[in-house]
Amino acid sequence: MMPTATQTSHLVAPRPSLGFLICLPLLLSLASPVAGSIAVAETGIESTPESTWSSEYVAYEFPWGGDEAIQFKEYHTYESMRTRMLRLAEDNPDIASFYEGLNGGMNARGQETTEDTYKGWYYGHASPWMKITLGAQDGDYNEFNGDTGNYEDREDVLVVGNHHAREWMSYEVPMFMIETLIWSYDNIGYDNDGDGKVDEDPWGDSNGDGILDDDGDCLALDEGVQDSDGDGIKCGPGDLGVDEDFSEQTLHDLVNNREIYIVPMLNVDGNRYDREVYCGETAWENCATSGWRKNLRDNTVTGITPLPDLDEQVDEGCDGVDLNRNYQFEWGAPLGATGPLIPGACYAGQNNDVYNGPVDTVDQDNDGRLNEDGVDGKDDDSDGLVDEDWLGGNSEPETKFIQDMTEMNDDNNNGGSDFPVTLTWHSFSELILYPWGHCQNCDNPDQEQLKYHGDVMATMSNYENMQSSGLYPTSGDFCDWHYGLFNSYCYTMEIGNAFHERPENIDDILLRNIGMGMYMIEIADNPKERADLAIANISQQNYLLQPTMLSIPEEGDVPIDICINNLFPYSLENSEVKWRMVKPSRLQSDYGPREWSTTEWTTASVKRVDEACTTGNGNGTLLRAMIPVSESTTGELHYKAMVSTLSGTDFYQYPANGEYYTMQITYRAAFGNFFGAMFMFTVVATFVWGGLAVALRIMLNPEEKEDVVSEGDLRSAVEGELD
Amino acid sequence: MSDSDQFNGRMGLIFASIGAAIGTGNIWRFPRMVGANGGGTFLVPWLFFLFVWSIPLVIAEYAMGKRSRTGTIGTFRIFAGRKFAWMGLWTAWISTAIGFYYAVVSGWTLKYFQLGISGALTGEKVDTTEVWNAFLQSPGQVIFYQFIVVLLVLGAIWKGAKAIEKVNFYLMISLFALLFLTLFLSLWMDASDGSLDGALFMFTIDFDMLFEPEVWINGLSQSAWSCSAGMGMCITYAVYMRKDEDTVLNAFTMGLANNSISIIAGLAVLSAIFAVNPDPLATVTGGSSAITFLALPEVFAQAPGGAIGPLFMMAGFFLALSFAAITSMISTVELCVRNFVDHGYDRERSVLITGIAIFLFGLPSAVMWIKLDSAGVAFPEFLEVQDHIWGYGLMFSGLFIAFSIWKYGYIKWRKQVDEGTAPDGLAGYMGLGVSAFRDDFINTGDNDLEVGRWWDIMIYLAFPILFVVLMGSYFTDMIANTENVWDPANPKGLSIILLFWGVVAVTFMFLNKFLIARPLFRNIPEGADVDISSLPGGDDELVVALGDVVPGFEHLAAKETVLEAEITG
Repeated sequence: MMPTATQTSHLVAPRPSLGFLICLPLLLSLASPVAGSIAVAETGIESTPESTWSSEYVAYEFPWGGDEAIQFKEYHTYESMRTRMLRLAEDNPDIASFYEGLNGGMNARGQETTEDTYKGWYYGHASPWMKITLGAQDGDYNEFNGDTGNYEDREDVLVVGNHHAREWMSYEVPMFMIETLIWSYDNIGYDNDGDGKVDEDPWGDSNGDGILDDDGDCLALDEGVQDSDGDGIKCGPGDLGVDEDFSEQTLHDLVNNREIYIVPMLNVDGNRYDREVYCGETAWENCATSGWRKNLRDNTVTGITPLPDLDEQVDEGCDGVDLNRNYQFEWGAPLGATGPLIPGACYAGQNNDVYNGPVDTVDQDNDGRLNEDGVDGKDDDSDGLVDEDWLGGNSEPETKFIQDMTEMNDDNNNGGSDFPVTLTWHSFSELILYPWGHCQNCDNPDQEQLKYHGDVMATMSNYENMQSSGLYPTSGDFCDWHYGLFNSYCYTMEIGNAFHERPENIDDILLRNIGMGMYMIEIADNPKERADLAIANISQQNYLLQPTMLSIPEEGDVPIDICINNLFPYSLENSEVKWRMVKPSRLQSDYGPREWSTTEWTTASVKRVDEACTTGNGNGTLLRAMIPVSESTTGELHYKAMVSTLSGTDFYQYPANGEYYTMQITYRAAFGNFFGAMFMFTVVATFVWGGLAVALRIMLNPEEKEDVVSEGDLRSAVEGELD
Repeated sequence: MSDSDQFNGRMGLIFASIGAAIGTGNIWRFPRMVGANGGGTFLVPWLFFLFVWSIPLVIAEYAMGKRSRTGTIGTFRIFAGRKFAWMGLWTAWISTAIGFYYAVVSGWTLKYFQLGISGALTGEKVDTTEVWNAFLQSPGQVIFYQFIVVLLVLGAIWKGAKAIEKVNFYLMISLFALLFLTLFLSLWMDASDGSLDGALFMFTIDFDMLFEPEVWINGLSQSAWSCSAGMGMCITYAVYMRKDEDTVLNAFTMGLANNSISIIAGLAVLSAIFAVNPDPLATVTGGSSAITFLALPEVFAQAPGGAIGPLFMMAGFFLALSFAAITSMISTVELCVRNFVDHGYDRERSVLITGIAIFLFGLPSAVMWIKLDSAGVAFPEFLEVQDHIWGYGLMFSGLFIAFSIWKYGYIKWRKQVDEGTAPDGLAGYMGLGVSAFRDDFINTGDNDLEVGRWWDIMIYLAFPILFVVLMGSYFTDMIANTENVWDPANPKGLSIILLFWGVVAVTFMFLNKFLIARPLFRNIPEGADVDISSLPGGDDELVVALGDVVPGFEHLAAKETVLEAEITG
């Protein structure tokens, strides 16, 4: 070691040696942080979840972190759910906003309401809800609803959970939708299961081979661990490795193109009562298939005073209205719902659980007749007005909230609802129900189409798809109202096998159901047309040409072709090809792996070209986009297509699930021309070698300056070096 | 005979400087940049910035080193003032930190020369990826070649300037010869497939690309890195200049020679790759040292001349590459050693200590975090991270040099304003201050060429603008293209760079007071004009000539004298 100052110099104050000081920071270089591991493809036979996926995925840990409730390992309470929704809206103001109830005002049927109109009778909460759409704060303002994220050109989707207080999974699923939508935005290409592959197993059977596990990773497990959710079905929905790696790109696009309204807990009153009083916090122990169902209307005093007496304790044998019997369409049809025989008196008995609310006592049209034209979309009394003096229904704060929100959400002012698609979560029975509910053996006008979408979702969840009244008739439910009045494609999902599922099953039940929710959002552009085209086997025939089927021309733009079935009603204007380039980055590291830089997705319009193409069931039309890639570009061209129908927006994606094709682009330009090269060579040679020659000449010429080196030429200069 | 250590002749300085400037950057980075930036198009900004950035900085470095006659720490102590000696420490540290992993990289080139000469890369079924991965994943091998490089470098600089001069001379002459051999074979290959498309590409301008800012920024960065300008190398070698040495012409000669080698190497590599590769640009623009060790052996294996051609080409190229690397390594180590010697440590001990440090601190880069990329090619991630952190720190060394010049001009001008002989205000500064350094330290009468006012403009105007453009575009790119760029745990992020730079800079500023408490011994040739009294650090009593005795530090001077006597005797 070199001598230190303290050893060698007693004359100066002790100080660290210079050498030591210079060496000190060397240690810094060893303190570099641990590098992120680079995924290396592993080979070998994998047979356990632990060896196949990341430990986070195997433990059903969701990437957004958070406590047990946020991780869906225990149930949210109303408070924790509300807090979480507030937080999500606060952290993601660009795509999400939080509301409770509505502002009120003059509603669509001419009634004055206030924000109090929508607060629960007993605990006084308005139902919390979120609006998820790009620019959630920057759209048109709906004064009545209080919502700042309205866009005329986006389709709206309404998702409602927890009509029935005890059906706890029915608010967990929409919460899970909220978390997933928000997290997926700007997290495109996330490897959800940590297997090194991205978006390889989207919801449902994406390749049509009848197997849900598209990437086969669950099926590759040892048989004993294939049923990780314990529902008796191996590699079924909810099992590890099934539909586990969906496309964040698709969700991202949905948030950009839809207005998504999610009301996870409609019946806050009832839910609090069920949890805090009726069943208790561990309801799955004592209330697995029972519990409080209705809201907390005070039926014992109804009719004596118009307002319930809030001081009164809940009379469990009597109080409450079944919210899902309180919508007005065909309200009062004597099927699956009961009304009190004598208004104001409590109608005791088992069917009290489906009490549909009080009979209306107002002559809405002031014609002296009461309740002569109930809500059914028809002019029952032939007076030229439709549904103007109803029998009842819409009597509860919660149903008023849904009905007013729907009727007042009319961005395009066409008098209808803006929800082409509506969805409500319930428990239990593992069913998908579509209208009608109020009548048996009565097809609705969209029977075939509603059945089609239900069948698709049944594949995703392994649930049974049936008409609602096929299970049992219900009048005044959410879906009959939405479909009956607004032709909204509406489904009631009956989740799981208990009202209060055990907490350890929350996460796998969520995974089994979420795909259906996202599917509904996706088809909202035109659910009927989508069904028609799919039933006729038309939309499945369109395809984007793969790189091997395309040829890159010697010069000019690169053509990308889409083959469209001749029966498909495409819109040239709204169909497009999206593309981006991945080029070697300017930030090439001298020693690391090759670095790439990726451009943003760019849109190219398509034109019809007069070339035929063949689809699976006949001839097709070729649409072509010209991608402006210069001849001197090298790298990868990523491309995908969005094909729009004449009526819809842009959600026929090819390839599906937010994927894209990759085309290798090689250098196409000429490598140079002789004369240009000669010229440049001359310039460079003159500057560099000519300059060098001049410099050496001056240097070696002794006459230029007397004290220059004395050697006469390069040879002697060189010899001078060697002596 | 004075105590001072000098080069024998002018060529010694030039060869040593060229040896420092020419490194792997000329041979594997330059062809890549040409490929990625439109062939001949790239040559325009690259040549432009040679004259705008590199040569003016080299002139400044020569002038400063020639006057201060000390390494980087001493130079900044004298030129920027006692408070700024840490700038020299920064310069020395960055160069040394790069040296840690550069020795490893130099070792790779030696290994590939060995593989080339033994024919291991020329067989029928050689999978170059396998060879590369096998090598990089065997720590013993990598360390062995790293060790050899360190030994060679220590041997070369053990005896000081005259030895450095000789080694650089032989290696550079050999490098020219080997590169010409490779070029000859490459052009033969390229021509034999019907067209000299590699050569044509390299010299054809694509006028669309010529107006793309990216091409110009790449030209600037290539010029800034490959020429060693602003890195302190030329300060160090200027210490060994003879008393009446030229600075300007030498700077031009060195810069032009550096670019000549780049062109020859670029032509050789591109011609060979274009001759045999179906998609040459995709290959050549890939970045990463691995390309050199994967693509080129494949290409060279197809050289004409039966078994001999490929062997010559492979061995010749990698030998040239290792010579380029080793001569750069020599300057790196010498830069560090010179700083020790300036502060009174004896040379041999300094060389040994530096050598051991370079070897030990290079070990992590040699063996740690050897990963496979998505294409299955091994790369040393720790080494890459080191390069990521320290590579751009070099730019600050250049900035510090410019700062010293600006400061000198300012002091000189203020003094004259106080005396009433110069006008006040910006116009005054522009009139007098900016040319003060040039008048006093560059155009001293020793030069073959006098440098004109253009040099002032470059240093005062062009340099700061280009510095901002270069750093700005680098950081912007990084922020735009790196995930979690602000996460301090991301070794490829920005926070980590700023953190390391910050810690080092703050540490060095703190160490400054220890630096200036030690005497500084200047390596002054007999009769040289090395007056420093007008400089900010000129009144420092601890700054003395080699052999002088400083009160309180008698032991240092005594030892040095004995040592010098031994060497010169």
